Amino acid sequence: MAAVSLIESVMKFAIAVFSAAHAPSSRRALLFAQAALAGGHEIVRLFFYQDGVYNASGSVVTPQDELDLPKQWRTFVSEQKLDGVVCIAAALRRGVLNEEEAKRYQRDAVAVGAPWELSGLGQLHDAVQDADRLICFGGA
Amino acid sequence: MSTLHVLSHSPFGDERLSSCLRVIGTHDALLLSGDAAYALQPGTAPFTALNARRLKLYVLAEDAQARAIDVPDWAEAIDYPAFVELSINHDKVNSWL
Amino acid sequence: MAKSLLIISRQAPWSGPGAREALDIVLAGGAFDLPIGLLFLDDGVFQLATKQDAKALQQKDLSANLQALPMFGVEELFVCAESAAQRGLDLGALSLEEARALAAAEITALIDRYDQVITL
Repeated sequence: MAAVSLIESVMKFAIAVFSAAHAPSSRRALLFAQAALAGGHEIVRLFFYQDGVYNASGSVVTPQDELDLPKQWRTFVSEQKLDGVVCIAAALRRGVLNEEEAKRYQRDAVAVGAPWELSGLGQLHDAVQDADRLICFGGA
Repeated sequence: MSTLHVLSHSPFGDERLSSCLRVIGTHDALLLSGDAAYALQPGTAPFTALNARRLKLYVLAEDAQARAIDVPDWAEAIDYPAFVELSINHDKVNSWL
Repeated sequence: MAKSLLIISRQAPWSGPGAREALDIVLAGGAFDLPIGLLFLDDGVFQLATKQDAKALQQKDLSANLQALPMFGVEELFVCAESAAQRGLDLGALSLEEARALAAAEITALIDRYDQVITL
Protein backbone atom coordinates (compact mmCIF):
# COMPACT_ATOMS: atom_id res chain seq x y z
CA MET A 1 0.00 0.00 0.00
CA ALA A 2 1.45 3.35 -0.99
CA ALA A 3 2.31 5.65 1.86
CA VAL A 4 0.21 8.76 1.96
CA SER A 5 2.03 11.82 3.17
CA LEU A 6 0.12 14.87 4.19
CA ILE A 7 2.29 17.82 3.45
CA GLU A 8 1.15 20.63 5.64
CA SER A 9 2.37 23.96 4.45
CA VAL A 10 5.15 25.56 6.44
CA MET A 11 3.94 28.83 7.90
CA LYS A 12 6.18 31.78 8.62
CA PHE A 13 5.55 33.43 11.98
CA ALA A 14 6.54 36.85 13.24
CA ILE A 15 6.28 36.89 17.03
CA ALA A 16 6.23 40.19 18.90
CA VAL A 17 6.58 40.39 22.68
CA PHE A 18 5.43 43.47 24.57
CA SER A 19 5.74 42.38 28.21
CA ALA A 20 8.61 41.79 30.58
CA ALA A 21 10.11 38.38 31.44
CA HIS A 22 8.18 38.13 34.69
CA ALA A 23 4.85 38.53 32.88
CA PRO A 24 2.98 35.27 32.15
CA SER A 25 2.54 36.42 28.56
CA SER A 26 6.29 36.29 27.98
CA ARG A 27 6.36 32.62 28.95
CA ARG A 28 3.35 32.02 26.69
CA ALA A 29 5.22 33.66 23.81
CA LEU A 30 8.19 31.35 24.33
CA LEU A 31 6.00 28.24 24.54
CA PHE A 32 4.12 29.31 21.41
CA ALA A 33 7.41 29.91 19.58
CA GLN A 34 8.70 26.48 20.63
CA ALA A 35 5.45 24.84 19.51
CA ALA A 36 5.61 26.63 16.16
CA LEU A 37 9.09 25.26 15.47
CA ALA A 38 8.14 21.82 16.77
CA GLY A 39 5.22 21.89 14.32
CA GLY A 40 7.68 22.36 11.47
CA HIS A 41 7.03 26.07 10.98
CA GLU A 42 9.44 28.98 10.68
CA ILE A 43 9.94 32.03 12.83
CA VAL A 44 11.07 34.94 10.67
CA ARG A 45 11.78 37.19 13.64
CA LEU A 46 11.17 37.66 17.33
CA PHE A 47 10.61 41.35 17.99
CA PHE A 48 10.66 42.78 21.50
CA TYR A 49 8.87 46.09 22.06
CA GLN A 50 7.69 48.16 25.02
CA ASP A 51 8.40 46.20 28.23
CA GLY A 52 9.28 43.20 26.07
CA VAL A 53 12.80 44.58 25.84
CA TYR A 54 13.40 43.43 29.42
CA ASN A 55 13.42 39.82 28.18
CA ALA A 56 16.76 40.57 26.55
CA SER A 57 18.32 41.93 29.70
CA GLY A 58 21.27 39.96 31.00
CA SER A 59 20.95 41.83 34.30
CA VAL A 60 17.77 40.09 35.41
CA VAL A 61 18.41 37.84 38.41
CA THR A 62 15.77 35.19 38.92
CA PRO A 63 15.46 33.30 42.21
CA GLN A 64 16.80 29.76 41.92
CA ASP A 65 13.39 28.15 42.34
CA GLU A 66 11.74 30.26 39.62
CA LEU A 67 11.64 30.10 35.85
CA ASP A 68 14.58 32.00 34.34
CA LEU A 69 12.85 33.36 31.29
CA PRO A 70 15.58 35.70 30.01
CA LYS A 71 17.94 32.73 30.06
CA GLN A 72 15.39 30.50 28.33
CA TRP A 73 14.82 33.11 25.62
CA ARG A 74 18.58 33.51 25.12
CA THR A 75 19.08 29.76 24.85
CA PHE A 76 16.13 29.37 22.48
CA VAL A 77 17.24 32.15 20.15
CA SER A 78 20.87 30.93 20.13
CA GLU A 79 20.13 27.24 19.67
CA GLN A 80 17.50 27.75 17.00
CA LYS A 81 19.56 30.48 15.34
CA LEU A 82 16.62 32.86 15.33
CA ASP A 83 16.58 36.57 14.66
CA GLY A 84 15.98 38.16 18.07
CA VAL A 85 15.50 41.90 17.67
CA VAL A 86 14.96 44.37 20.47
CA CYS A 87 13.52 47.80 19.65
CA ILE A 88 16.30 50.27 20.35
CA ALA A 89 14.07 53.22 21.28
CA ALA A 90 12.07 51.12 23.76
CA ALA A 91 15.28 49.61 25.13
CA LEU A 92 17.02 52.94 25.71
CA ARG A 93 14.00 54.33 27.52
CA ARG A 94 14.04 51.29 29.82
CA GLY A 95 17.79 51.15 30.42
CA VAL A 96 18.39 47.99 28.44
CA LEU A 97 21.58 48.98 26.64
CA ASN A 98 24.16 47.05 24.68
CA GLU A 99 27.85 47.92 24.73
CA GLU A 100 27.61 50.32 21.82
CA GLU A 101 24.73 52.30 23.29
CA ALA A 102 26.23 52.28 26.78
CA LYS A 103 29.36 53.83 25.32
CA ARG A 104 27.38 56.31 23.23
CA TYR A 105 25.35 57.53 26.18
CA GLN A 106 28.09 57.01 28.74
CA ARG A 107 26.14 54.62 30.89
CA ASP A 108 27.75 52.15 33.28
CA ALA A 109 25.57 49.13 32.78
CA VAL A 110 25.63 46.94 29.70
CA ALA A 111 22.53 44.78 29.86
CA VAL A 112 22.25 43.31 26.40
CA GLY A 113 24.62 41.06 24.55
CA ALA A 114 24.47 38.29 21.97
CA PRO A 115 22.25 36.90 20.58
CA TRP A 116 20.13 40.04 20.87
CA GLU A 117 20.25 42.80 18.31
CA LEU A 118 19.07 46.36 19.02
CA SER A 119 17.30 47.82 16.03
CA GLY A 120 14.38 49.96 14.92
CA LEU A 121 10.66 49.46 14.32
CA GLY A 122 11.47 48.93 10.65
CA GLN A 123 12.47 45.40 11.65
CA LEU A 124 8.97 44.81 13.04
CA HIS A 125 7.39 46.04 9.82
CA ASP A 126 9.80 43.96 7.79
CA ALA A 127 8.81 40.87 9.75
CA VAL A 128 5.10 41.65 9.35
CA GLN A 129 5.59 41.88 5.59
CA ASP A 130 7.58 38.65 5.42
CA ALA A 131 5.47 36.48 7.72
CA ASP A 132 2.23 34.64 7.09
CA ARG A 133 1.12 35.27 10.65
CA LEU A 134 1.93 37.93 13.24
CA ILE A 135 1.31 36.90 16.85
CA CYS A 136 1.66 39.44 19.65
CA PHE A 137 2.06 38.61 23.33
CA GLY A 138 1.83 41.15 26.08
CA GLY A 139 -0.34 42.94 28.57
CA ALA A 140 -0.67 40.55 31.44
CA MET B 1 -12.00 36.14 6.51
CA SER B 2 -11.70 35.20 10.14
CA THR B 3 -9.70 36.47 13.06
CA LEU B 4 -8.50 34.67 16.17
CA HIS B 5 -8.90 37.12 19.04
CA VAL B 6 -6.74 36.47 22.11
CA LEU B 7 -7.45 37.88 25.54
CA SER B 8 -5.15 37.67 28.54
CA HIS B 9 -6.63 40.04 31.12
CA SER B 10 -9.17 39.29 33.80
CA PRO B 11 -12.62 40.45 32.61
CA PHE B 12 -13.35 41.91 36.02
CA GLY B 13 -12.57 45.60 36.09
CA ASP B 14 -11.19 45.50 32.56
CA GLU B 15 -12.77 46.57 29.30
CA ARG B 16 -11.03 44.23 26.88
CA LEU B 17 -13.57 41.39 26.94
CA SER B 18 -16.58 43.64 26.41
CA SER B 19 -14.86 45.62 23.64
CA CYS B 20 -13.77 42.38 21.99
CA LEU B 21 -17.31 41.01 22.11
CA ARG B 22 -18.57 44.23 20.50
CA VAL B 23 -16.36 43.84 17.45
CA ILE B 24 -15.85 40.09 17.15
CA GLY B 25 -17.18 38.72 13.86
CA THR B 26 -19.40 35.69 13.25
CA HIS B 27 -16.55 33.67 11.71
CA ASP B 28 -14.02 34.72 14.36
CA ALA B 29 -12.77 32.70 17.31
CA LEU B 30 -11.79 33.75 20.82
CA LEU B 31 -8.95 32.30 22.88
CA LEU B 32 -8.90 33.01 26.60
CA SER B 33 -5.38 32.93 27.99
CA GLY B 34 -3.87 33.96 31.31
CA ASP B 35 -6.31 35.75 33.60
CA ALA B 36 -8.88 35.94 30.81
CA ALA B 37 -9.64 32.32 31.77
CA TYR B 38 -11.55 33.82 34.72
CA ALA B 39 -14.25 34.70 32.19
CA LEU B 40 -15.26 31.04 32.49
CA GLN B 41 -15.89 31.33 36.22
CA PRO B 42 -19.49 30.10 36.65
CA GLY B 43 -22.09 32.44 38.07
CA THR B 44 -20.46 35.54 36.66
CA ALA B 45 -21.53 38.10 34.08
CA PRO B 46 -18.66 37.21 31.67
CA PHE B 47 -19.57 33.51 31.91
CA THR B 48 -23.20 34.32 31.12
CA ALA B 49 -22.22 36.64 28.27
CA LEU B 50 -19.92 34.06 26.68
CA ASN B 51 -22.46 31.28 27.09
CA ALA B 52 -25.10 33.40 25.37
CA ARG B 53 -22.91 34.03 22.28
CA ARG B 54 -22.47 31.30 19.71
CA LEU B 55 -18.70 31.79 19.63
CA LYS B 56 -15.88 29.46 18.74
CA LEU B 57 -14.42 29.69 22.22
CA TYR B 58 -11.09 28.31 23.38
CA VAL B 59 -9.12 28.51 26.60
CA LEU B 60 -5.51 27.60 27.27
CA ALA B 61 -5.74 24.37 29.27
CA GLU B 62 -2.88 25.33 31.57
CA ASP B 63 -4.63 28.56 32.54
CA ALA B 64 -7.97 26.88 33.32
CA GLN B 65 -6.17 24.21 35.30
CA ALA B 66 -4.06 26.64 37.32
CA ARG B 67 -7.20 28.53 38.32
CA ALA B 68 -9.30 25.42 39.04
CA ILE B 69 -11.80 26.49 36.40
CA ASP B 70 -13.92 23.76 34.87
CA VAL B 71 -14.11 24.21 31.14
CA PRO B 72 -17.78 24.10 30.05
CA ASP B 73 -18.72 22.03 27.02
CA TRP B 74 -19.27 25.13 24.92
CA ALA B 75 -15.56 25.97 25.19
CA GLU B 76 -12.51 23.94 24.25
CA ALA B 77 -9.34 23.68 26.34
CA ILE B 78 -6.26 23.65 24.13
CA ASP B 79 -2.50 23.21 24.40
CA TYR B 80 0.23 25.12 22.56
CA PRO B 81 0.39 22.94 19.44
CA ALA B 82 -3.37 23.50 19.08
CA PHE B 83 -2.82 27.24 19.66
CA VAL B 84 -0.37 27.23 16.75
CA GLU B 85 -2.90 25.36 14.58
CA LEU B 86 -5.62 27.84 15.50
CA SER B 87 -3.44 30.75 14.51
CA ILE B 88 -2.94 29.10 11.12
CA ASN B 89 -6.58 28.20 10.57
CA HIS B 90 -7.63 31.82 10.98
CA ASP B 91 -6.40 34.58 8.70
CA LYS B 92 -4.87 36.64 11.46
CA VAL B 93 -4.45 36.85 15.20
CA ASN B 94 -5.60 39.88 17.20
CA SER B 95 -4.14 39.83 20.70
CA TRP B 96 -5.72 42.44 22.98
CA LEU B 97 -2.48 43.52 24.64
CA MET C 1 1.65 43.91 -2.90
CA ALA C 2 2.44 45.08 0.62
CA LYS C 3 0.52 43.59 3.52
CA SER C 4 -1.70 46.08 5.31
CA LEU C 5 -1.42 46.57 9.09
CA LEU C 6 -4.10 47.98 11.39
CA ILE C 7 -3.01 49.43 14.71
CA ILE C 8 -5.75 49.61 17.35
CA SER C 9 -4.72 52.14 19.97
CA ARG C 10 -6.53 51.64 23.29
CA GLN C 11 -4.43 53.59 25.77
CA ALA C 12 -5.22 57.03 27.12
CA PRO C 13 -2.59 59.64 26.22
CA TRP C 14 -1.00 60.06 29.65
CA SER C 15 -1.15 56.50 30.96
CA GLY C 16 2.52 55.78 30.23
CA PRO C 17 4.37 55.36 26.95
CA GLY C 18 1.66 53.11 25.46
CA ALA C 19 -0.11 55.69 23.33
CA ARG C 20 3.16 57.11 22.04
CA GLU C 21 4.67 53.70 21.34
CA ALA C 22 1.55 52.68 19.39
CA LEU C 23 1.83 55.84 17.34
CA ASP C 24 5.54 55.16 16.72
CA ILE C 25 4.62 51.87 15.05
CA VAL C 26 2.19 53.74 12.80
CA LEU C 27 4.67 56.50 11.91
CA ALA C 28 7.45 53.98 11.19
CA GLY C 29 5.12 52.09 8.87
CA GLY C 30 4.13 55.29 7.12
CA ALA C 31 7.79 56.25 6.72
CA PHE C 32 8.35 52.93 4.94
CA ASP C 33 5.36 53.62 2.67
CA LEU C 34 3.41 50.69 4.06
CA PRO C 35 -0.40 50.54 4.10
CA ILE C 36 -1.15 51.34 7.76
CA GLY C 37 -4.47 52.04 9.42
CA LEU C 38 -5.05 53.45 12.91
CA LEU C 39 -8.18 52.96 15.01
CA PHE C 40 -8.72 54.70 18.33
CA LEU C 41 -10.73 52.45 20.65
CA ASP C 42 -11.72 52.49 24.33
CA ASP C 43 -9.53 54.94 26.29
CA GLY C 44 -7.51 55.49 23.11
CA VAL C 45 -10.18 57.97 21.99
CA PHE C 46 -8.95 60.32 24.73
CA GLN C 47 -5.88 60.90 22.57
CA LEU C 48 -8.19 62.89 20.28
CA ALA C 49 -9.63 65.21 22.92
CA THR C 50 -8.98 68.87 22.21
CA LYS C 51 -7.24 71.47 24.40
CA GLN C 52 -5.05 68.92 26.16
CA ASP C 53 -2.00 70.29 27.94
CA ALA C 54 0.96 67.93 27.88
CA LYS C 55 3.19 70.46 29.61
CA ALA C 56 1.13 70.19 32.78
CA LEU C 57 2.56 66.66 33.12
CA GLN C 58 5.97 67.52 31.69
CA GLN C 59 5.16 65.23 28.78
CA LYS C 60 5.66 65.59 25.05
CA ASP C 61 2.60 66.65 23.13
CA LEU C 62 1.21 63.66 21.20
CA SER C 63 -1.05 65.77 19.05
CA ALA C 64 1.83 67.06 16.92
CA ASN C 65 2.60 63.46 15.95
CA LEU C 66 -1.08 62.78 15.34
CA GLN C 67 -1.39 65.76 13.02
CA ALA C 68 1.69 64.50 11.14
CA LEU C 69 0.01 61.22 10.23
CA PRO C 70 -1.33 62.28 6.82
CA MET C 71 2.13 63.68 6.00
CA PHE C 72 3.53 60.20 6.65
CA GLY C 73 1.00 58.81 4.22
CA VAL C 74 -1.27 57.44 6.94
CA GLU C 75 -4.76 58.50 6.00
CA GLU C 76 -6.77 55.51 7.17
CA LEU C 77 -7.71 56.96 10.54
CA PHE C 78 -10.70 55.78 12.55
CA VAL C 79 -12.33 56.33 15.89
CA CYS C 80 -14.85 54.09 17.66
CA ALA C 81 -18.08 56.06 17.95
CA GLU C 82 -19.27 54.10 20.98
CA SER C 83 -15.99 54.56 22.87
CA ALA C 84 -16.17 58.30 22.23
CA ALA C 85 -19.82 58.53 23.29
CA GLN C 86 -19.15 56.58 26.51
CA ARG C 87 -16.39 59.05 27.33
CA GLY C 88 -18.38 62.17 26.58
CA LEU C 89 -16.35 63.13 23.51
CA ASP C 90 -18.03 65.04 20.72
CA LEU C 91 -17.22 63.23 17.46
CA GLY C 92 -17.57 66.53 15.62
CA ALA C 93 -14.90 68.20 17.75
CA LEU C 94 -11.95 65.83 17.82
CA SER C 95 -8.37 66.98 17.41
CA LEU C 96 -7.94 64.75 14.35
CA GLU C 97 -10.58 65.81 11.83
CA GLU C 98 -9.60 63.07 9.41
CA ALA C 99 -10.58 60.31 11.83
CA ARG C 100 -13.73 58.58 10.63
CA ALA C 101 -16.24 57.54 13.28
CA LEU C 102 -17.14 53.84 13.09
CA ALA C 103 -19.91 51.77 14.63
CA ALA C 104 -19.12 48.32 16.05
CA ALA C 105 -20.13 46.43 12.90
CA GLU C 106 -17.94 48.71 10.81
CA ILE C 107 -15.01 47.96 13.11
CA THR C 108 -15.60 44.24 12.58
CA ALA C 109 -15.41 44.85 8.83
CA LEU C 110 -12.36 47.07 9.27
CA ILE C 111 -10.40 44.37 11.11
CA ASP C 112 -11.40 41.92 8.38
CA ARG C 113 -10.04 44.20 5.66
CA TYR C 114 -6.52 44.37 7.04
CA ASP C 115 -3.92 41.62 6.63
CA GLN C 116 -2.48 42.01 10.12
CA VAL C 117 -3.51 43.78 13.30
CA ILE C 118 -1.82 44.93 16.51
CA THR C 119 -4.07 45.97 19.41
CA LEU C 120 -2.14 47.74 22.13
